[in-house]
Amino acid sequence: MLDNLGSNLKDALRKLAGKTVIDRAAVEDLVKDLQRALLQADVNVKQVMQLSQTIKKRALDEQPPKGVTAREHVLRIVYDELVLLVGKTVEITLGKQIILMAGLQGSGKTTTTAKLARFFKRKGMRVAVICADTFRPGAYTQIKTLCDRIQVPCYGNPAEQDARKIVRDGLASLKDEVIIVDTQGRHALEDDLITEIIDLNEITRATHRWLVLDAALGQQAREQARRFHDAVNIDGVIITKMDGTAKGGGALSAVAETGSGIVFIGQGETIEDLEWFDPSSYISRLLGMGDLKALAERV
Amino acid sequence: LVSFVRDREFIISEKDIHDILDELEMGLLESDVAFSVTEEILSHIKSDLSGSKRKIGTSVDSIVRSALADALLGVLGEGVDIVSYIKEHDRPVKILFTGVNGTGKTTSIAKVAKFLQNNGFSVVLGAGDTFRAGAIEQIDVHGQRLGIKVIQHQEGSDPTAVLFDTVEYARAHQIDVVLGDTAGRFHNRANLMNQLAKIRRVIKPDLIVYVDEAVAGNDAVIRAEEFSKSVGIDAVMLTKVDMDPKGGAAISIAHAVGKPLLFIGTGQAYEDVMAFNPSAVVADLLGDA
Ligand SMILES: Nc1nc2c(ncn2[C@@H]2O[C@H](COP(=O)(O)OP(=O)(O)OP(=O)(O)O)[C@@H](O)[C@H]2O)c(=O)[nH]1
Ligand SMILES: Nc1nc2c(ncn2[C@@H]2O[C@H](COP(=O)(O)OP(=O)(O)OP(=O)(O)O)[C@@H](O)[C@H]2O)c(=O)[nH]1
Ligand SMILES: [Mg+2]
Ligand SMILES: [Mg+2]
Repeated sequence: MLDNLGSNLKDALRKLAGKTVIDRAAVEDLVKDLQRALLQADVNVKQVMQLSQTIKKRALDEQPPKGVTAREHVLRIVYDELVLLVGKTVEITLGKQIILMAGLQGSGKTTTTAKLARFFKRKGMRVAVICADTFRPGAYTQIKTLCDRIQVPCYGNPAEQDARKIVRDGLASLKDEVIIVDTQGRHALEDDLITEIIDLNEITRATHRWLVLDAALGQQAREQARRFHDAVNIDGVIITKMDGTAKGGGALSAVAETGSGIVFIGQGETIEDLEWFDPSSYISRLLGMGDLKALAERV
Repeated sequence: LVSFVRDREFIISEKDIHDILDELEMGLLESDVAFSVTEEILSHIKSDLSGSKRKIGTSVDSIVRSALADALLGVLGEGVDIVSYIKEHDRPVKILFTGVNGTGKTTSIAKVAKFLQNNGFSVVLGAGDTFRAGAIEQIDVHGQRLGIKVIQHQEGSDPTAVLFDTVEYARAHQIDVVLGDTAGRFHNRANLMNQLAKIRRVIKPDLIVYVDEAVAGNDAVIRAEEFSKSVGIDAVMLTKVDMDPKGGAAISIAHAVGKPLLFIGTGQAYEDVMAFNPSAVVADLLGDA
């Protein structure tokens, strides 16, 4: 994710090395490089423009505290702004919970549902899945097959047309600690389906509503996320297909739009390919400069 | 005197077109035309127009906009008429669908199958995704609903064998068109791309249709280039245009592979498939420039 950002920024920051006063041209270079990298990674164009303006303004206007070099000062500002973009750490609790999966068609909800089920099961929890996708041909077979592989019960009924009914019946019959509800794909302009997910959220009184987004999603991410967030109050984003070459910047825009954070990252097609995500260590790695968080706090 | 005024010309400077180019750049990026493609197209326009002579009275903005419209139309090309293509080729015409995970290959196959049926062709489907859970069931349900035979083996079996059998079936039953499904795969997985190359060698498809989605951002370019290099692309199907009516990804992909767009997908129903109309795409992108 955003991996070319690291090398771009390193070059730009090098120009500030050893300087005591902030050099306007160097800051402008840095902002240009940052813009380029973020746009190539699919971060929303308007967000990129805002973020780069803020970095430029702060870098030039704010006085570096005593004993802080120009380079450290600018680095800290970049760090602060990237933290806002990448979002906050989402805590995963191991208590009783219901998770509602939401997202566009084909984003990876069903695959991720199985990955999450495996994750919680390995933490020693009793897990079950409800298949609330009554639309896609083969949807039930798909999730049932995956659940069988990890020995997790899967509630569903391919003959039933009403997702609301399946979810009600499923919740009544399942007594497991963690229940993950897989839903059909939908997008912002499909009002009936947006209403359906609002209803499913009410029926389940879901503990979490996680938005599953493809790493390749482009400029639409922000608008789509806004609609899902208005509908069901998204509290976490899962970025899938990070094993390809896409950078996930669209999903980052969704994180900013929903004020949430990245919960997990999907790294492959098989059930094991799920990674937890830690925003601050990620940014430090991205900027390739050791423990930036410590630096930011020290400064 | 009158004719002298009419013929007066002025020379466009880089400065004259700077603002409008910036504005158009933002517009293209916001419509998901990939960064690299946007830069390249606009820098061509800039160098073509700077220093060129124009009649006084024509606005610089409209000159730049129409140059961009022409450039985009050039990138998009003409589209393919699949019905005449099939009529002109030996039966069965074999069409293989490829692309990364979840872009809409299987659904598009069902839509194209229905479209071909409506145009009087007989069709057989090959369940060449033997990998993803529920994939065979998915295409089988589509086949049942459309009354179309689906050749299938077990989950986990060799996709080349399934598609081979599909072609054999078409030959034996005088079927006009074979539509072969494949599992979604990433271009950076050499073993999976080799598997696709093997399918191509054995099946010798007439057309390889690469399926990608309108909502894809910059990665659309990278993956299209890689698929084009390793297995080839003859035509493109752009799906999920209903999510992203701007469809700048069409430009990114066409620019990357230089192949025509076959259809666009505009929803999940069988009817949600449209012939590709390049001037409509450009009009949408430029806000009717
Ligand atoms: N390589 C890779 N493929 C993934 C990942 N997550 C999901 N996929 C694949 O993406 C495709 C779509 O995944 P699904 O889980 O069916 O997506 P969905 O959101 O449930 O789709 P709908 O229910 O149709 O909306 C499948 O081919 C999955 O195998 C991932 O992290 N990496
Ligand atoms: N809104 C919309 N959804 C679409 C369109 N085309 C396909 N879909 C949906 O996208 C999801 C994925 O479609 P599939 O046909 O399974 O995609 P695929 O490329 O075969 O996926 P894999 O085989 O897993 O790689 C399904 O929910 C489809 O209904 C489209 O044009 N518009
Ligand atoms: Mg699903
Ligand atoms: Mg498929």
